[in-house]
Amino acid sequence: MKRGCLAAVRQPHLIKGLIKMNKNRIYPGYFAFGALIIYFVFFFLPGLIGVGYSFTDWSAYSDELHYVGFRNFLTVFSADENYMKIITNTLEFTLITTILKNVIGLILALLLTNSIRLLNMHRGIVFMPSVLSTLIIGMIFKSILDPKSGLLNSFFRSIGLDMLAQKWLVSSELAFGSVMAVDIWRGVGYIMTILIAGIMSISSDYYEAAAIDGAGGWKKFWYITFPLILPTLATTTVLNVIYGLKVFDMVYALTNGGPGKATTEVLYTAVFKKFGTGQYAVGTALSSVMFVIMIVIGMYMIRVMTKNEVVE
Amino acid sequence: MVLGMLAGCGQSATPDSAPAAPAADTASEPASSEAEAPAAEESSAADSGEDVTITFMASQDWIQDAEMELGEKFTEETGIKVDYQIVPSDQYESLLMTKINAGECTDIFGGQSSQFSIVTQFDVEKNAVDLSGESWAGNVDPAAADELSVGGKLYGQPIQDVSACWAVAYNISLFDELGLSIPTSYAEFCDVCEQIKAAGVIPIYECVSDGWHHVCWTEAAIAATQADASYPDALNNNTATFEGNEQLTTMFAQLKELADLGYMGDNYMSNAYADAPASIASGEYAMVLYNQGLGAEVNAADPSFPEDNIGYFVNPLCDNQALNVNYCGPSRFIFSGSKNIDAAKKYLEFMASDESLAYMTENVGKFNQLPFSNAPSAYSKVVQDFYDRYPNKVAVFQASVKYYNPAWMDIGADMSAMFLGEMTPDEVLKDIDKLRAEQAAAASDPAWE
Repeated sequence: MKRGCLAAVRQPHLIKGLIKMNKNRIYPGYFAFGALIIYFVFFFLPGLIGVGYSFTDWSAYSDELHYVGFRNFLTVFSADENYMKIITNTLEFTLITTILKNVIGLILALLLTNSIRLLNMHRGIVFMPSVLSTLIIGMIFKSILDPKSGLLNSFFRSIGLDMLAQKWLVSSELAFGSVMAVDIWRGVGYIMTILIAGIMSISSDYYEAAAIDGAGGWKKFWYITFPLILPTLATTTVLNVIYGLKVFDMVYALTNGGPGKATTEVLYTAVFKKFGTGQYAVGTALSSVMFVIMIVIGMYMIRVMTKNEVVE
Repeated sequence: MVLGMLAGCGQSATPDSAPAAPAADTASEPASSEAEAPAAEESSAADSGEDVTITFMASQDWIQDAEMELGEKFTEETGIKVDYQIVPSDQYESLLMTKINAGECTDIFGGQSSQFSIVTQFDVEKNAVDLSGESWAGNVDPAAADELSVGGKLYGQPIQDVSACWAVAYNISLFDELGLSIPTSYAEFCDVCEQIKAAGVIPIYECVSDGWHHVCWTEAAIAATQADASYPDALNNNTATFEGNEQLTTMFAQLKELADLGYMGDNYMSNAYADAPASIASGEYAMVLYNQGLGAEVNAADPSFPEDNIGYFVNPLCDNQALNVNYCGPSRFIFSGSKNIDAAKKYLEFMASDESLAYMTENVGKFNQLPFSNAPSAYSKVVQDFYDRYPNKVAVFQASVKYYNPAWMDIGADMSAMFLGEMTPDEVLKDIDKLRAEQAAAASDPAWE
């Protein structure tokens, strides 16, 4: 194979022949059967059954199942319920944390790909929160953000900035922002690491050529780094969106959906509570609604991400 | 995966390791030399070659240090290890119900007793083991046993002293210093709060973040029962609602007013129940809604604070002057799907022995009279005076109204929203009706059809 490639390099007509051969190669369909069966049995089928249960009165209080039509979905979308707020909260969490994690992660990645002292230590410190247990982080921050004796408010008071001491997790205005801030702090190091890998894969030739042409730091970023790192940013965006839509542990540990009725409630904490109270059918209906939202968002993202791919 | 993550919330203490951190409202003192932990009477499981670890999951306020000390003794005597899994109280109910409903519960689980909710919430006939034939079953106080029985079968064992009730515990010397007397109406209670606040002390310690404690104020709902004795039955028959009830509307409005007037201080939304004794001991707060063991717990937090310097008066919302009684309380149930039912039964038998009950009474400040005929009585004068002062006793909604107890944490979330101004008292009451209807519908209750 290696010898063949070398021969092809020496003779251009052979390269054309190799490309043509690969383009014409179509693998037989049964190669995918194994993966399809596993995916169908362990992923697609349970999801389908879950959607089916959302049309029943499935609960912990009865062994019998009855078809109830769209009753559970009417409950989810009812004005008397707060499920729409929960879905909105989930989407808001996803949007804000995705944008901020990408922006802050990119800034940190740019800073930590320069030649600075103790580079790896800096990278390690920023990355460290990502490897800690989310529940432990939640409990630590619950203590740090305590309005009376928490580290943050104590710090503000100690430097005379009492007005900045706030009820971070128990105020309806600040609680959701505080939860998102802690989650961004936890996740930004992970995004930064992926982006560092993306930045380091860019050839230095581009930057040398740009420097010869008189380009400054901003122009180098805007015309070289940013376009070439876009595929990596697309990957981090997908990771953040999937995480955001499925977030559970951080909210659970910090506020458990409170304060109040549903200030910081997100989809999976609500589903967890519905299962906890034995109201399985409403829980699965809620999951099904979110499943549809995730499919729509997922298809849109795939379309955007594959828009610029070269099609031969 | 979720359950795996949640397991991290619990604390676990096996006899081979250091005991878990003290439970939140534990008032345990060092084990008295006079009250040695009892020896198990059963034949040693270790001798018979058993190598069993039983798991026991409960809310953080339900397993006392003294019980874990007894657990170590139990292991020494029987060879059966006990793995205590203590879960934060605001997360416990969801986790317990998820585990029960998933069929993956611990060998023993803690749950609130109530003749209604043990059926509608726990479905004990399906999920718990019948304990009627156990040697200690006949010793359980009949009133407490009623709340743990279905169809004449006993399914649980009480953990705590159910004679205690949620009342306003106050700093006696501070009241004397300010010339205050025990209030007998809501207006008088507000006057007392105002004078305490003027003296630079925060009148009431409240802790909404735990999710359940502030709901205990709703035990003043007995005022509605006093106004109409048939009201609880009407609620159970679905011929009456919470919404529109005059006493209940007043109760929630007054509670909100106490918060708005600053009588609960600035941090009532974030305070923790576990910090209540220390907060009273420090003199920062004057009163807290508590059961009749606060004196010992405050004394444990600060030995210079005399135990008998804490007095009690009934929850004065709605001008209530009746004692709110509740024979329901945290209880131990053996999960029917457990593989260690016999070992779990031995543990319950051990905990109900004369020696264990005496040990618990002596070492847990709030346990004055555990609900067993073979348990000793240890009422202090100040507690006895409190009970004698209120001859009129009325059962709380938690015990007398169906689907109220299972909605406890949801009611807590609604009340939290009320404190934040997101819901009105009327909306809270309306939501309680809705929560109860959901439970009733799920349970196919004919009264709601």
